[in-house]
Amino acid sequence: MPYRTLRNIATILLLFTLGISSWANAKEPESLFPQVKAIFENHCLDCHNQLEQKGDFSLQTLSALQESGMLEPGDPAASHLLSVIITQEDEDRPSMPKNKDPLSKEQVELITQWIKQGAAWPEGIALAQPVVDDFDWWSFRPIQTPDVPATENTWIRNPIDAFVLRKLNEKGLTPSVEANRRTLIRRVTYDLIGLPPTPEEVQAFVSNPDPLAYEKLVDRLLKSPHYGERWARHWLDVVKYADTCGYDKDKLRPNAWPYRDYVIRSFNQDKPYSQFIEEQVAGDVLFPGNPDGILGLGFIAAGPWDFIGHVEVPETKIDGKVARNLDRDEMVSNTINTFTSLTIQCARCHNHKFDPFTQQHYYGLQAIFSAVDRAERVYDLDPKVEQQKIDLNQQLTKYQNEQKNIESAIQAEGGEELTALVQQIKELSSKISLKDKAPQFGYHSQISKNQTSEKWVEIDLGKRMPITSITLRPCHDDYGGIGAGFGFPVRYQIIISNTPAKIRSDQKQNVVADFTQQDQANPLLSPIKIDVTGNQARYIRVTATKLRERKNDYIFALAELQVFDEQGTNVALKAKVTSLDSIEAPVRWARTNLIDGIWPVSKNADAEKQLAQAQKEHVTLLAKIIPSERAKQKEALEKSIQETKKQLSALPQGKVVYAAASNFKTEGNFKPTMGNPRPVHFLYRGNIQAPQDLALPGVLPLTKEAVPNLSLDPAHTEGDRRAALAHWISDKQNPLTWRSIVNRIWLHHFGQAIVASPNDFGRMGQLPTHPELLDWLALEFRDHGQSFKSLHRLIVLSSTYRQASSHHESNAEIDGSNQYLWRATRRRLDAEEIRDSILTVSGKLNRTMEGPGFYQFVLEKTTHSPHYEYHKFDPNDSASHRRSIYRFIVRSSPDPYMTTLDCADSSQSTPQRGETVTSLQALALLNNRFNLAMAEHFANRLEKEYSKQQDQIKAALQLSIGRNPTETEQTQFQEFADQHGMANLCRVLFNLSEFVYLD
Amino acid sequence: MLNRRDFLTNTAWGFGGLAAQAMLHTEDARAENSISTGSNGVIQTLHHPPKAKRVIQLFMGGAASHIDLWDDKPALRKHHGEKSDFGEHVEAFQNGLGPWMQSPFKFQGYGESGKQLSEAVAPLGECVDDMAFIHNMVGKTGVHSQATYLQATGFQQPGFPGMGSWISYGLGSINENLPTFVVLPDHRGFASNGPKNWGSAFLPAKAQGTMIFPQRENPIEDLLPHADYVTPASEQATFELLDKINRQHEAQRQGDLRFESRIRSYELAAKMQLSAPEALDISQETKNTLKMYGLEKAGSTYPDKINPEEEAEYFGRKCLIARRLIERGVRFVQIWSGNDNGFPRRNWDSHEDIQRDHFPLAKGMAVGTAALIKDLKQRGLLEDTIILWTTEFGRMPSTQGAKGRDHNPFVFTNWLCGGGIKGGTSYGPSDQWGYKPLDRTNPTQVYDVHATILHQLGIDHRRFTVRHNGIDRRLTNVHGHVIKDILA
Repeated sequence: MPYRTLRNIATILLLFTLGISSWANAKEPESLFPQVKAIFENHCLDCHNQLEQKGDFSLQTLSALQESGMLEPGDPAASHLLSVIITQEDEDRPSMPKNKDPLSKEQVELITQWIKQGAAWPEGIALAQPVVDDFDWWSFRPIQTPDVPATENTWIRNPIDAFVLRKLNEKGLTPSVEANRRTLIRRVTYDLIGLPPTPEEVQAFVSNPDPLAYEKLVDRLLKSPHYGERWARHWLDVVKYADTCGYDKDKLRPNAWPYRDYVIRSFNQDKPYSQFIEEQVAGDVLFPGNPDGILGLGFIAAGPWDFIGHVEVPETKIDGKVARNLDRDEMVSNTINTFTSLTIQCARCHNHKFDPFTQQHYYGLQAIFSAVDRAERVYDLDPKVEQQKIDLNQQLTKYQNEQKNIESAIQAEGGEELTALVQQIKELSSKISLKDKAPQFGYHSQISKNQTSEKWVEIDLGKRMPITSITLRPCHDDYGGIGAGFGFPVRYQIIISNTPAKIRSDQKQNVVADFTQQDQANPLLSPIKIDVTGNQARYIRVTATKLRERKNDYIFALAELQVFDEQGTNVALKAKVTSLDSIEAPVRWARTNLIDGIWPVSKNADAEKQLAQAQKEHVTLLAKIIPSERAKQKEALEKSIQETKKQLSALPQGKVVYAAASNFKTEGNFKPTMGNPRPVHFLYRGNIQAPQDLALPGVLPLTKEAVPNLSLDPAHTEGDRRAALAHWISDKQNPLTWRSIVNRIWLHHFGQAIVASPNDFGRMGQLPTHPELLDWLALEFRDHGQSFKSLHRLIVLSSTYRQASSHHESNAEIDGSNQYLWRATRRRLDAEEIRDSILTVSGKLNRTMEGPGFYQFVLEKTTHSPHYEYHKFDPNDSASHRRSIYRFIVRSSPDPYMTTLDCADSSQSTPQRGETVTSLQALALLNNRFNLAMAEHFANRLEKEYSKQQDQIKAALQLSIGRNPTETEQTQFQEFADQHGMANLCRVLFNLSEFVYLD
Repeated sequence: MLNRRDFLTNTAWGFGGLAAQAMLHTEDARAENSISTGSNGVIQTLHHPPKAKRVIQLFMGGAASHIDLWDDKPALRKHHGEKSDFGEHVEAFQNGLGPWMQSPFKFQGYGESGKQLSEAVAPLGECVDDMAFIHNMVGKTGVHSQATYLQATGFQQPGFPGMGSWISYGLGSINENLPTFVVLPDHRGFASNGPKNWGSAFLPAKAQGTMIFPQRENPIEDLLPHADYVTPASEQATFELLDKINRQHEAQRQGDLRFESRIRSYELAAKMQLSAPEALDISQETKNTLKMYGLEKAGSTYPDKINPEEEAEYFGRKCLIARRLIERGVRFVQIWSGNDNGFPRRNWDSHEDIQRDHFPLAKGMAVGTAALIKDLKQRGLLEDTIILWTTEFGRMPSTQGAKGRDHNPFVFTNWLCGGGIKGGTSYGPSDQWGYKPLDRTNPTQVYDVHATILHQLGIDHRRFTVRHNGIDRRLTNVHGHVIKDILA
């Protein structure tokens, strides 16, 4: 860049003539530098910093700016910096900032002035990514005990009403009358248990003279096990629960459901909220021995997971790193969004633009989750079994250590000779490659965990004949990186006989080769020839007495067995092959491959010969340095190890849950950390290839003084990190936690939350409509048992909740959206409520709780990418007639019926469902095969229970909308049913606005 | 039970009160006022005068090779079989960094622009002067799932609306008798991420893509009732009774507009029951048209092995239906080619054999696509319909195995056509191998393509935002600039 060079020279000259004083000293107190700094930091630094230097230009430090030659202190006209931020001739906008709005006139003027005044830049100041450092924000402030308004009014039933009424009065609004009992029982039943009240329940409540009838109704509902099913669904929406992984292949998670059941149970048990938090973030550490401590960790694993990025791509590759970084990001955002309602994920690539959180804070949270992955984990082990497991593992380690000691003793005695031999074998092995590898590999026994279990393979030549030699040819398989000599026995013998195996005795067979007393070198691809001249035989058997190791297990494999007659003809071709056992997996492995005339041949015969020689020497050497006593000891140890492993695998395995885990079975490149945290670096711009300093585990500061880093023992475990985070969240002094949860509960009773952005209490979120009420509720909840049921009770018993939903002209003019709660907000049933109601009224609802999810699709092609075929599903399958919370939720292919009814998308946190009205929804309620089938069941039920059509219609309305038909309706329905039958009428009922909306 | 044909014939006089209206109100998409944003989009006034109103997106699942279709590389012919050297360390998805491999397909120049196309896409030769190629697309990862999300939704993670959802949400529908956003998936299965690629995520549910499977008995799920007890007469009575009862209910609940919309939604549903099957019925198309789309032998039995004729029928049918939907005012149509990575391979992820899989898929795609372009053009629809051809990433110029190619997220090709796009353009060359952009500092990203499409539709991508969980989300995240060089 010649221009730049000239500028550089000019600048240097300038510096010589002016001296650098004007750059480095901000002498004037009214210096413009702070303002200029802010402009640079907010508009330029993103690209022009020391790391990125877009256009080879950084203005991060004084020296960088000096070197750039972009600026001439005191001379705006000669400063190139100005020319890029001002629109040039023939251009329609300034060239910088690129892809962003141009700087304002005032900003440009300020920079011009600053340059004119000598471009003062205080020494030692470097520009930094802008940080919001203002902690003064409503949600960060401690929760204050608000005074309950002391208004005297008979409408007020509890403090909620006092707060609400004060606000209504302030806004010139008046509360509505109480809803009638039929409306009330429908509303509160759906709100608390998500199902319709039965006609009997409605009748009993409407006619109950007891002044405490409503209170008793509420208590009954809160005791119902269906309460947990309803409220767990709200929680699962927020935490992104599903039964598949999402992303490419969308594999099943067959053991995700125990977490779903844990949430249901926790609500039904009315578990204190702090315990609920702690179990989900660090239950394994904080509640050891308690299954809920592990089940709760299903929370961390609830969201999507990239199978390919973890299993197929190793952690060493960029794509593997990206996948793991995004996976931790999901864990961090799920935890922080859910429990504290902060959008911390905004700080992955840059400091949070609106809230006082930096990238360091964000990566501090990632460091907390750096040792866990999403995997299956045992949760219900008997403590006795666990102790046994620990003991056996200790024993195993002891044996293995002894084994190691023997190995190193052998190593020491073998000295350089042994080392050199091993090295030579390794080098030669890498040189051996195959000439045209055929797809038929050979015979392969079944896999054994025990090296000394005997395996045999035998051929039957069909008749007795003279034979002169037998040749064994070894296999080649790259499995486990083994290659040549795959499965060739370590010890074996060859027997010939004329008697069938069934009636064969020792006398009737002849051992022609016995290699059972000593370990044999692996011949690799060299054939083993045995001279048997002068013998006659019909059967030839090879018995392996010590198997060859494969990958932590043992096998016997052979590519070819040849038997030659006196003419040198191989008479084994076409022989019959039998064996103790076999893996029949043609084309590669089959018994018949043993006599097919196909075996692997090395390209490099020399290397192979040398290798075979080296192997032989190796075996001889080992035999020399291992005295028989040590050999025995070694053998005994091997046996003990096998035995211990066997005992371990025989222990009860326990039930598993898909949860956060650091110890699980390796699958491809997906390997457990075994509790060792992965190093997490603060990433420049969130770029995995631009790692900066190591991140230290930390939480978020909510005041300027707060120290985010966790003070952990240097010897802390990864679980300690999560435990510290859990405690930070559940701390009574954490103002976000308690405000966040009461706001969520409130939302589902009123259709709108006090803070309309339940997942964001930051500056981009909404302000609370009733801040004092929110704090009052938070304290009430926090300090009185943290009981959800008490909170529900408080809310639904209030006059505010019991209002009618009717319209009020002047109130509507002031507050059309009803944010101040002058009436009840009418709501549509959600997808689950609609489906569950249809099942209930049709008499088909199966109320079985818990257990694996039911399919509403036909599952096909599970080996690779499972296909979830909803259109092939039979809605009459009774296994699917359970409550919707027990659906098997597919992340990539969500149930179209439920989706159309605004069901939550399990790939994102959904604090509040949408409520849309579309023609596709109308079509779903009219024509979905589930609705059509249920309409028929509903009709059958009515016809079975009532003989008169008149009564059938009455019952149908009571069941579906909780009231009797009017006279007009009765006539209309009856006429319709006369002509088109009850099933068609039931279909209509499922489409009534009154069926799907609550007043 | 009613089959579709009976149902239509019968319902034409059945619940005709609603249906007749629907047919009368069927608007000719071409007659739309050019500034109109449609009836129900959130963008009431466009940000600037639009050049286009509709979009057809063709998505090749599995990653289609740029260097075997659109981006001719003479250097690969010259150095074929030589050890590949990228001049830097490369990480390939399956380490497919064997010798340089020339395309198994011949290239030839077409049109006035002389654009070199491979024989696998030869049918598109006639269209090159209407097409604008972007040869310096770069992705962020070689993992299918994330890369597919990125190209479909602008984000690598799940949980974001597809481009079609954004556009439907912003502009609404042109014809309310049909869904605003229609997706024609590969009938053999979904590409990576499945329906999440066209989900509405945090936008309202109506913005999601509606799947149509033309070959199924029920091309659109739930469109029509399949139950023995439903007859044409009961169907008419059902609509009438519902209307009556729901109106009585509404009348008692003054001030709640949702109930009026709900009643209206049933009227629209009835209209859709007539319009949708009609839009999918290609039996009235001329022989010539069918032939053009590769459908002259529709319904033939094909060999088990993947073959161009069969692929042409599948893809051509979707293209023809796309034209019919566009004609009837559907705002956004997305066509997918290629399913998951099951066996046997029926997608573009040619790790094993470019010749075996790319040729039939490409030929089939090219037949349908060329027909679509020419057909839209002759009907005057191409000028305000944008076609975008895309895929999740490209393939490496080196060999994997003996005949395959590994993933190349470092450079690949997109092309656009129609809707004010400058035809005969080749923008942003890749390097001599097709390994990375020639100018590595100025690549094109999906944000730029999305920004350009929104721009042509009259939308400034930076101003079209939706607040979700405290963040102002937009299709282009915080990136994107309009690619002026490919605009007419």
